[in-house]
Amino acid sequence: MKCAVDIEARDVEEMYINIDPIQAGGRLTADAMKAAISFGDGYSVCDNCRNPPRLDYIQKPPIAQFHADLATWLNMDTARVVPGARRGFQAVASTYVEKGDPVIVTSLAHYTEFMAIEAAGGVPREIPKDAKNHITPDAAAEKIEAVIREFSHTPPLLFVDHVDYQFGNVHDVAGIIKVAHQYDIPVLVNGAYTVGIMPVDGKALGADFVVGSGHKSMAAPAPSGVLATTKEHAGQVFRTTQAKGDVTGRTFGMKEVEMMGCTLMGVTVVGMMASFPHVRERVQHWETEVAHSQAVVDALLSIEGTKVLSDYPRQHSLTRIDTRESFDTVAEHHKKRGFFLSSDLKKRGITGVIPGSTKVWKFNTFGLTDKQIRHVGESFIEVARENGLNIV
Amino acid sequence: MSKRAVDAVFQALFILSDLRFLLRETAPQHDFDEAQKKRAATSLEKVKRQIAIIEEELVQ
Repeated sequence: MKCAVDIEARDVEEMYINIDPIQAGGRLTADAMKAAISFGDGYSVCDNCRNPPRLDYIQKPPIAQFHADLATWLNMDTARVVPGARRGFQAVASTYVEKGDPVIVTSLAHYTEFMAIEAAGGVPREIPKDAKNHITPDAAAEKIEAVIREFSHTPPLLFVDHVDYQFGNVHDVAGIIKVAHQYDIPVLVNGAYTVGIMPVDGKALGADFVVGSGHKSMAAPAPSGVLATTKEHAGQVFRTTQAKGDVTGRTFGMKEVEMMGCTLMGVTVVGMMASFPHVRERVQHWETEVAHSQAVVDALLSIEGTKVLSDYPRQHSLTRIDTRESFDTVAEHHKKRGFFLSSDLKKRGITGVIPGSTKVWKFNTFGLTDKQIRHVGESFIEVARENGLNIV
Repeated sequence: MSKRAVDAVFQALFILSDLRFLLRETAPQHDFDEAQKKRAATSLEKVKRQIAIIEEELVQ
């Protein structure tokens, strides 16, 4: 079925249980789908843009209120919607980092943090992870000291991932921020895997900036996200333009430099807004999501030879699993080679495992129903049993 | 201008979005329980009403 010339309609979410590691938290709510139908046109939210002509002042639809609600919900002072978490990283790095400055990230940091630092002319330096794949406050302190020795000045910024994308482990962000603040280093918390799926309290963490991803974890269309900050930093990162045309003498009033004026102008922001009440509600049920994750991981661990590389018991719905001594032993002699796993899962209505993966791979159970979780767990066991693996 | 027809088109699309969401919640078998069957039946009735309005406004 085509939705337009040469474009197949996407019915993955309707036909399958999707356990793709990056797609789970961004699935739209029904209300976001309705908003997308209504606000698909390019500048659709600008019908009632008045003075000052800026996105976060628009009253109808209630985008101004949404901004205030986002900040309150994250327990920060002010917030802006941005075209994806990466643009939040970029806005902060561009504000604080000068050419040649060291900027601290972690060895589990998302690549877009590196890109943001590079674009600002900074030099990334990584805090090593420990043997359990955690970033600790002690390791952060050691790295800060090492960087000060290397560069003879304090880094202007530190990025830390609340939950990392590689293992789905929850890190001691509050502890790391406490250390960074002892050196007067502001900290950006990358909440791409937390904001919108589990409770996040920016003040409790001590964060200077909290960045979330709309399309990864807030049931919103892409690209969308949020950048929230404190009163202390808002004036800098959300500074207004001072530019003036030398020929025309034009100035641009309230436009914020790092936001390039306005950010999300249609289906992205309205989709975020439509999902927001549901997102606010769903983070209250994080324990159920963790229990679901645990149930699927336990089903996988019942397959002899399987190991979980993420923290166990699970504390997040994103998990990295090692099946080199289980499914990969099947792949060695199976006629479909490593593709047998995704193929057998697809026959059972499950998608999202990268075709060909039977060694180390990730999956995400966020947002599935009890029944779907049971189906996923049972399916992994059935596939294992049918391919001669032992269930213990 | 038929505001009534426009509203009915949007309403029908919104109701179908609820039905689409139900398909997602029940993937892959779409094996509806009683409550889900009732939700689906209610949605279909509502869609039919909106289509009737569209016909009345634009075609008849």
